[in-house]
Amino acid sequence: MDYADAELPVADGVAAAHGRTCAAFAQSGAWWSGADRLAIVADARTAPDCPLCAEKVEALSPHTVQGEHASAGVLPPIAVEAIHGVRNYSGRLTRGWFDDLIDMGLQPEAYVDLVSVTASSVIIDTYAQGIGLEPSPLPEPEPGNPSFERSEDVVDAGAWLPLKREGRANVVRSLGLVPSALKLFFDTFSPSYYMRPQTEFSISWAQVELVASRVSAVNECFY
Amino acid sequence: MALRASAQESGQQADLRVATGVASGDGNVPHGAFLCALAEAVARWRWDEVAELRRTGLDVLGAQETSDAILVASGFNGITRVADAIGIRLDQRTADASADFRDMTGISAFAPPEKWQVAGASP
Repeated sequence: MDYADAELPVADGVAAAHGRTCAAFAQSGAWWSGADRLAIVADARTAPDCPLCAEKVEALSPHTVQGEHASAGVLPPIAVEAIHGVRNYSGRLTRGWFDDLIDMGLQPEAYVDLVSVTASSVIIDTYAQGIGLEPSPLPEPEPGNPSFERSEDVVDAGAWLPLKREGRANVVRSLGLVPSALKLFFDTFSPSYYMRPQTEFSISWAQVELVASRVSAVNECFY
Repeated sequence: MALRASAQESGQQADLRVATGVASGDGNVPHGAFLCALAEAVARWRWDEVAELRRTGLDVLGAQETSDAILVASGFNGITRVADAIGIRLDQRTADASADFRDMTGISAFAPPEKWQVAGASP
């Protein structure tokens, strides 16, 4: 990832991790091709300007507002709904919304892969813009087909989807139905928190926790 | 979240309510008010406001410190979406680590009870 023109210094490990994520977007994943995954990122980037989402965000319940999302048109509408929901009103998603997506034909494993790509793109795009840059240009898609990977090492833990059987906290297990999706997301997230023993920040632990808590509150995330 | 534990390590008692805006000020965390403002602006993608805070951050925090704060905020902007999109419930480990924070801030009000009640526990 090229952060050379950033207004703030960027640790080498952060740039390297974000660069690997951006390259991974262009590669076939478990349930989407490289071209599809790049389209997911592209739609996540256009979602902030989506008029339908603006209505949904203002509505008493976002799920009562119907219409068509702004999209590049590469992905099926059901996938676009999922991307925009995760990107624009994740704190208001409900079990009913998720069930509707599945009932309309979105495979649970494809949903997990999509959530991983969308949330990973949110991290690297938020950081790029936060340090004064535009989101990074996307690479060209690489050839190849999805692996249709699905883990059997999962368990019902009361979430909308089965979670990885083992793990310290539910959020760390959350994408376990598709191991490569879990890896993509946490490889992207790891530099942002104490996920690895060698992680060091120039701000204190208390300051890190305060920033994390504030973001959780802004996003209306109970976790 | 381990905010209380981390603040106690530094010899201070953090006012956890600043994270949810219930209380104002630094919350006994160095530059806490500034960090809350920066975190919120980043999470809401208010880039003009972030640009101003970035400049302020150079003076009050330092360049690397401001970059790291934005990095943490960016990461949590992603992981909160994963938690919400998968509909995970609170696990015992996280519940234990964040019990006092939840009590003080009322953060559980952000989701219906079936999410924040520990999986497997009686309502």
